[in-house]
Amino acid sequence: MCSIAAPEVFGSDELGHATVLIEGDLPEHLHAKTRRAQANCPEDAIIIEE
Amino acid sequence: MTTVEENSGPVTDPTSDYNIFDPEFVRDPYPTMSEIRESKCPIAHTDRWGGSWFPTRYDDVVAIAQEHEIFTSRSITVTASPLRQAEGPYAGIAAPPITSDPPDHHWHRRLILPVFAPQSVAKYEQGTRDLCNRLIDGFIDKGEADAGTDYAQQIPVRVISAMLGVRDDMADEFVSWVRGVLEVGLTDPIVRLENRNKIINFFREELADRKKNPRENDLITDLLNSGDKYPVTDQYVLGVCNLMLIAGIDTTWSAIGSSLWHFAQHPEHRKQLRDNPDLWPTAVEELLRAYSPVTMARLVDRDIEFQGCPMKAGDRILMAFPAANRDPRQFENPDEVILDRQHNRHVAFGSGIHRCAGSNLARLELRVALQVWLERIPEFSLVDPAAVTWAGGQVHGPRVCRVRF
Repeated sequence: MCSIAAPEVFGSDELGHATVLIEGDLPEHLHAKTRRAQANCPEDAIIIEE
Repeated sequence: MTTVEENSGPVTDPTSDYNIFDPEFVRDPYPTMSEIRESKCPIAHTDRWGGSWFPTRYDDVVAIAQEHEIFTSRSITVTASPLRQAEGPYAGIAAPPITSDPPDHHWHRRLILPVFAPQSVAKYEQGTRDLCNRLIDGFIDKGEADAGTDYAQQIPVRVISAMLGVRDDMADEFVSWVRGVLEVGLTDPIVRLENRNKIINFFREELADRKKNPRENDLITDLLNSGDKYPVTDQYVLGVCNLMLIAGIDTTWSAIGSSLWHFAQHPEHRKQLRDNPDLWPTAVEELLRAYSPVTMARLVDRDIEFQGCPMKAGDRILMAFPAANRDPRQFENPDEVILDRQHNRHVAFGSGIHRCAGSNLARLELRVALQVWLERIPEFSLVDPAAVTWAGGQVHGPRVCRVRF
């Protein structure tokens, strides 16, 4: 789900498990999409550090 | 209590006597789910159909899904299968990994996950789009069609056939076998067994063929050849083929059908997506939440008290994902379809180690099927709302759903 909501931020490995594509701080323009990915993650697996 | 006659009396109190095959519940289960969820007994119990528990709150359903050691997947059907012993040579063939528990579950699932990763299913998008267009070509000039049988029903079965590398003229038979297992078969064990055997017999021949004539980029060949990493047996590969049919056809077809049924009655939602195509990702999730097709079951491993309910080893629990997805404690205005809903941690695909392995494929099929329909047939409505027929029990969705355009 996260890779659909925020494809710039999340990808998936060979098994389809989510991976984070961006190292370090998130660019401002991706904040909203990343928050949406977090709010829709069925496993509640995304933590955004501020 | 396994026959229709024994189980179909009137329901007075759904918290102690619900009947998931009651015609009214099959047609529209949400009011009953809500009644149970907001009662003093949000985990209902019934003696019908061999007995089961029915958790309806989001937190309870998720907690049970996560506790896979106590709530096992030794049986995942919503009714007991009294003919289990009678299955003869096919008794050991399950539907891994959905029917597996740890430790085997880990490799059962690991072997099929790459097939369903987002980048792997993306290659089916164009083929699915072409298929949807061909189906619509077949009826668009008539001004009327059955969005269920002429469209929704036709899509997942052909996508799955392509993935399995089997002839696509098998589509009607596959649909009939899967309905035999998942719809009619839930209340008729003879029909269930017959259709299960048809599926297994068909794939036994496909396996024999792949052993003689291995193919490149072929799921069945690849699974048969993964024995260097895991103890892969014919039974496992047959089980996966069985799973692809059982889990991949009726389910997605129901989600496509329910969504079209919804759009037929909501011109404002059709317009909203036409005006703002960026909404598709949230819209697909919202339709999955509001019209979750699947209810899975778990079997209790040992006596345990869960939320005050005295559950015994061997008890069946129905994972009411559709009820959890309309819990007002988790979702604001849960009975309303809000295509741009921002907070939507729905469990239409389950939760925990058995979360649907095919969810990326299901999402793709649902989105493409709806996009193509709305592009080609932007305005349509139900011919007769009362004439729509529904399947229920394990999978909820419309079957006959005539629309005019």
